[in-house]
Formats: sequence, structure tokens, C-alpha cells
Amino acid sequence: MISRLIRLVSRLPATVHAKLLAAFLTIVVVLIMVGTVGLEALSRVNRGAQDLVNLQRKIAAYRQLQHDTTSQLYAVSAALVVPEESALDATLRQLNQFGYDLDRLQFVAKDEVELLGQVRDDYEKFIQVVTRVIDMIREGKAAEGREVQFKEAGPLADHLERLTNQLVNRAEADMLASIEAGQTTYANSRWIVVTIAAASILLALVLGYVISWSLIDPVRHMDQRLQEIASGDFSRHVTVANRDELGTLATNLNRMNDELKVLYEQLEAANRHKSRFLASVSHELRTPLNAIIGFSRLILRKTGGQIPDLQRANLQKVLISGEHLLTLINGLLDLSKIEAGKMEVLPEAVELAEVLDGAASTVEPMLTNGQVRLIREIAPDVPPLYTDREKLRQIVLNLLSNAAKFTEQGEIRVLAWRQNGWLKLQVADSGIGMEPEALTHIFEEFRQVGSSSTLRSRGTGLGLAITRQLVGLLGGEISVQSDVGKGSTFTVVLPIRFNGSKPRG
Amino acid sequence: MPMQKKILVVEDGEFNRDLMLQLLGDDYEVVLAGDGREGLRKAEQERPDLILMDLGLPLLDGWETTRRIKRDPALKGIPIIAVTSHAMVGDESKAREAGCDEYLAKPIDADELMRAIRRFV
Repeated sequence: MISRLIRLVSRLPATVHAKLLAAFLTIVVVLIMVGTVGLEALSRVNRGAQDLVNLQRKIAAYRQLQHDTTSQLYAVSAALVVPEESALDATLRQLNQFGYDLDRLQFVAKDEVELLGQVRDDYEKFIQVVTRVIDMIREGKAAEGREVQFKEAGPLADHLERLTNQLVNRAEADMLASIEAGQTTYANSRWIVVTIAAASILLALVLGYVISWSLIDPVRHMDQRLQEIASGDFSRHVTVANRDELGTLATNLNRMNDELKVLYEQLEAANRHKSRFLASVSHELRTPLNAIIGFSRLILRKTGGQIPDLQRANLQKVLISGEHLLTLINGLLDLSKIEAGKMEVLPEAVELAEVLDGAASTVEPMLTNGQVRLIREIAPDVPPLYTDREKLRQIVLNLLSNAAKFTEQGEIRVLAWRQNGWLKLQVADSGIGMEPEALTHIFEEFRQVGSSSTLRSRGTGLGLAITRQLVGLLGGEISVQSDVGKGSTFTVVLPIRFNGSKPRG
Repeated sequence: MPMQKKILVVEDGEFNRDLMLQLLGDDYEVVLAGDGREGLRKAEQERPDLILMDLGLPLLDGWETTRRIKRDPALKGIPIIAVTSHAMVGDESKAREAGCDEYLAKPIDADELMRAIRRFV
């Protein structure tokens, strides 16, 4: 249900901006509804209170009427007993008062027209009767007045009282009904306000949830896709239901994916072509080189003292150049093998000391006679390694040959120790060193330092590039520090146990 | 003096054929062939004691020539050393699969060549 809602919101052909605005407006509308309903309830309560006050007033007026009727009868009776002029005046005044009460009733009880009409009729009669009684008293016909009083005024007063009682009862009933209605209204209003408030909270939660998930979900999908693309997988498209900015983003992501895929395939093809080219070049070069080196050696071997020393030395140079060319070709072949992913790592148990001894014995003949010392120090905590022996040997040999090439005197130190579970291998020389700007390119192909100016630098310019690739194959990294005139230090960090991961491509 | 052992050199490069002849000529009787077909024919005619086989050959490549020699009951006893500039990964195993008994990458080191030959004859 919720997920269907999320999909629905995703598919809405509106911008995220519009969706959020709509959600906020909806919540605001609901809040305004709550306010309106609350205000409406308040005004109803207010009206109820007003009604109650009116009823109260009505009841008071009726009671006043009752009271006045009673006191009228009393006053007339008193006047009959003591027929003084002052008492008679008071009785007449009270009659007038009674008239005012009635006038007041007209305003207070507009809805009781019929009853009020009866009251007024009775009152008119009552006034006539009382006036007659008073006239009789004045004329000294007290007995006659008492007769009229008893026969006509009494029943009229009773009738009046009944009528006013009826009015009071009705008003009281109205008041009770009004109070009850007020309570019902209050309960209803409370229910409506609470319901709408709860609904608005629910609505806000649902809208928030739905909108945020309609945004988060596609973002997550795209993030995952980007990670796949980053790791070289261009096979899939990301599909999101959104037709908003995120939908556009997904479309662009897919377009980028396709572009990258094409580029990547072109690049791969170019790289394969390069590797094939390197392989065939090295193959084709070997054939004539075989003749050059082979014949040079043959001549040197077979001609003893027959050729002049100078020519012999010249031939030696041909041979050395041929061998140099061969090293170069072998290096190219190695690089193309590594780059084509054809170089396999064959891990086995390896004693570092043996590898260092082997490499040192190869390099020692290259060291300037007696001027350069080769020092080896392996910390006792270096455990037996599990790695590719041949590649490790080549790494060490390359670094040592490199150091030997550039060091005329002093020492070459090979240090090995264990650090944070990794093997650290350092080759430090006291040679010519390198300029800082040369260091940034030192591991690139054909970036030989001083190759044009120094006669002794007979390297191929591929040694360090190959070394770096080999270190990468073994799951490690290589770095270099150098000071011009003081020497260079190459540091290799290798896993003690090769575990098949390749941090570099 | 014992009879010299006979070595068939199948090699398409003229200079390299000549080099082989000069390297081996003192100690062995050397027969030369310039392509795979000639190599096969010479193997049948001359019955050499050992064959040095280049792999990238015209007409019939070295792998196929080797396979045919090794299929021939009369010839399959002859040891074949691949001498080739195919030095990529897998080239050696490809050569051995075709039937080569030994594998040497060009350029040839004379001492290494001699050692390899002496292992077989």
C-alpha cells in the first residue's frame, strides 16, 4: 500500500520542488481546517452562553411577574382591610409596575407570543377588576369590593400565576435543552478537532515518508549503479520510476554509462592492440638481434689475437649495444605481459634472506670496485613470506641494479622489517639522487634520470616502471625519496601473505 | 674419431641459419632447412640425431612440422629443441604441447645451446 503510494508519487510528472510545495500546502490546508472547526465550535459555545443568559433573564422576568401578581393581590387585600388612601395609591402604583413587567416580557420572550397574549388579556382584566375594587373601596362599598375581589380578582390572579408558571417551566426546559445542546456541541467539536488533528499528523507523516522515499530510493539505486560503473561494470542501466529531476538524473546517468562503455571498450581495444603490437615488435626484433649478438660473440670468441685491439673493442661495443637492446626488448615484453594481464602471480613460501642474497650476488659485480659497500639488514621479526618468488627477486634486483648504477661511492643499504602486518623493504643508496620534479615521473616508462648526460646510466628506462607494476601485482606499493647529491631511498610495502587482491589495475 | 652427430637446423632467417652453422659446424654435422616443408623432408631423408626448430616458419609452421615429425613412427624418436623468438607467456607450453622436448628463446646463448644439445645427443 505504502510502496504503491511511493511509486505513484515517483511517477508524478512534477518537479521535486512542486511535490514538496504541494505536500506543505496540503498540511497547511488541514491546519486551517482544524482552526476553522475550532473557531466554529467556539462561536457555537458563545451563542449557547448568550442563549443561557437570555433564558436566565426571561426566567427572572417571569418570576418578577409572579411576584408582582402575588404582591398585587396582597396589596388589594390589605387595602380592603385598611381602606386608606395611601394604601390604595400604593396598589395602583403596583398595578403600573405590573404593566412595566409585561412590557419588558415582550422584549425578553418574543417567541412566546400566544402565552404572552393570554397574560396580557388576563392582566387587562385584572387591572379592570382591581381598579373597580379600589373604586368601590373609595366609595365606601367595602363589602361589595371584597365580593368582587374574591370572585373575580382571585381567579384571575390564579390564572395569571398558572400562565407565568407555564412560562417559567418552558424557559427552564429551554435552558436545560440549551445546556444539553451545548454539551453535545462541545463533545462533537472536540471529536472533530481531535480527529482532524490526528488525521493531519498522519497525513504529514505519510506525505513525509512517501515523498522522502520517492527521493531516497532512486538516489540509492543511482548510487549503487555509480559504484558499479566505478568498478568497470557498464552492463546495466538504472531504472527509476521518477519523472522529476531524479528521473532526468537517471537518464543522464544511463547516457554517461553508455558513453563510458563505448570509451572503455575503445580504450581496451587500443590497449589490447598496444600489447599485441609490443609483443610482435619484441618478437620481430629478436630475430635480427639473434644474428647481431650471435655473430658478435662468435667473432670475439674465434678471432683471438687476429684483429686489432681497437676493432675488437668496437665489436665489443656492438655486442654491448645488442645486449642492451635485448634488455630493452625483454622489458617491453614484461610490461606488455603485465599490462595485458598475462602475468600470473604464483605465490609460495619465500625466505626474504635467500632472495636478497641471490639479488646481491648478481649486483655485486656491477658495484664500482671496492668503493661501494652493499649492506643487508633483515629485522628478526620478518616472518617467511608467502608471495611470488621470481617477481620478488626481480623487484629487489631492479632496485639494487638501479642503486648500483647511480652510486659511485658509499653504500647501498637494503633494510627489511615488519610494520603493521606488512613487509617494508627499503633500498637506500648514497648515489647522485634526483631532482624533486624527476621523482613524480620516476615510475613511468622511459623516464630515466640523466640518461643522456651520464655515461654510466645504461638502464633501459623500463626497470622502475616494471618494478612498480610487479609490486602492484604482489598487492603492494612503492615510493621514493631523494636528495640531489645525497642519494635515493626506494621503499616497497608488500603484504606478508599474498592474498590475490590487486590494488592497481 | 667417432662419427659426428647430425643436427637438422630448421630456420627461415638466412643469417641465423648461417650463425647456427658456424656455432655447431665444428662439433656436429649440420643440415639446414629454410622452411617447415623442407625441414620435414630433410628429417625424413637425413634422419638427424637432433632437430633445432624455429617456430615461426613459412609454408609449414614449426609447431605443425614438429607435430608431423612426432606422429611419424620412424621419426618420433628424434629430440626437437624449439629455438624461437616467440617469448610470450604460453609460447613455451604451446611448443611443448606440439611435441618439442626443449625450448630456447632467441637470442641464442651459445653455451646454453650447447648444454641443451648435449643433454640429448
